Amino acid sequence: MSDNFKSALFALATAVICSLLLTAASSGLKPYQEENIEVDRKKNILKSIGLIEEGRAYTLGTITSMYAENITSMQIDAGGQAVEEGSVSETGLPIYLYTRDGSIKAYVLPINSRGLWGKIYGYLALESDGSTVSGFTVYQHSETPGLGGEIEKNWFQKNFKGKRIVDHEGNFVSIGIAKPATTAAMSEAEKANYVDGISGATLTGRFLSAGLKEILSEYEPVSIRFRSNEMLLVPQVPEAQEDGQ
Amino acid sequence: MKLTQSRHFKAFSEPLIQNNPVSMQMLGICSALAVTVQMKTAIVMALSLTFVLAFSNLTISSMRNIIPRNIRMIVELSVIATLVIIADQVLRAFFYDISKQLSVFVGLIITNCIVMGRAETFALGNSPGLSFLDGLGNGAGYGSVLISVALIRETLGAGKFLGVGIIPEFFYQAGYENMGFMQLAPAAFIIIGLLVWLQKTLVKN
Repeated sequence: MSDNFKSALFALATAVICSLLLTAASSGLKPYQEENIEVDRKKNILKSIGLIEEGRAYTLGTITSMYAENITSMQIDAGGQAVEEGSVSETGLPIYLYTRDGSIKAYVLPINSRGLWGKIYGYLALESDGSTVSGFTVYQHSETPGLGGEIEKNWFQKNFKGKRIVDHEGNFVSIGIAKPATTAAMSEAEKANYVDGISGATLTGRFLSAGLKEILSEYEPVSIRFRSNEMLLVPQVPEAQEDGQ
Repeated sequence: MKLTQSRHFKAFSEPLIQNNPVSMQMLGICSALAVTVQMKTAIVMALSLTFVLAFSNLTISSMRNIIPRNIRMIVELSVIATLVIIADQVLRAFFYDISKQLSVFVGLIITNCIVMGRAETFALGNSPGLSFLDGLGNGAGYGSVLISVALIRETLGAGKFLGVGIIPEFFYQAGYENMGFMQLAPAAFIIIGLLVWLQKTLVKN
């Protein structure tokens, strides 16, 4: 048996053993990992509406029960009507409602924006006045660590709180990420629509601004209903109409 | 023969101080800069690297007589990569927050020169038991540097130890401020430089 054949055989055996080990580890640990990802997503929704403080430790159980108590997740259409979940509808937008004592305090939009290297996933929470940002969080991204990756840090995200998606006349303008030098030159009214960006992450900021604008305009019909106080209660899924009556 | 002079003890203890992989051999500096802002991440990183190093040394050493020489590096890397991915998966399943903070750096243990270096220079020429101890020793040596740097950076940079504030409130009221510079990568460079200086002076004497 030649040496080359022996080497090839050895390499094959190593590869098979390694891949078996990896498959076992990956499939054995998957349920735990998926639970973590799910809880992390819920945690980010709670953080965006300010129910979770940065730097405090929460157990999985606390987060799950806080989420169940405060958040209603549903699909909503442009008219503010609930759309039955699972129904194939192009008008349905996913939304998370933060309710307290039966009335809506804030609503959370899932963010799915283009980034520099990949998608940015997060949540943007708006207060029930339909124009003030209550918080912004990111739970998954592939931006450069230390530069664009700072979008996942609290110092960047806390700038969003209190900013507005409308100008002083009440027209929709979205919320943008600007270089600190640019925001310094803005008027007070304009500043309300911009957050300070990250040095060295101009492109991440630009993509995220565009993504936020796109998503906010998509939800604008819903936000308008919030602004005109037409969305005070959680919309109910309309009863399915029975055929032949 | 005394315990401290046995080969096994030496395999473990030499890399701790005299032949420390970071401060004497200058290996693994990159990750030492990145994960030492907080004590918690530094400890987890040190444990992950020790796990990978000890078991890669053990595995490679047990196969050392049957690995064909011409593909030995490929085999070493497959073993190391497998162990690193397992460590990463375990962190994701049970320490999700920490694994998010460590982000790519656990995966980058694969390219940490300490792991490949020990496999090549030690595990290929020594028995599995000795190699395992050598892996533990090098992991502990790496960990001790990481933890020293993290201790200085977290205390001075954030006024915390393992995430708990340790600087009394009246210090802040008297005008004390956290050193923001300690949170940045250059601070780790400077601290590692000072540690190397200190250690070389001590070892020489």
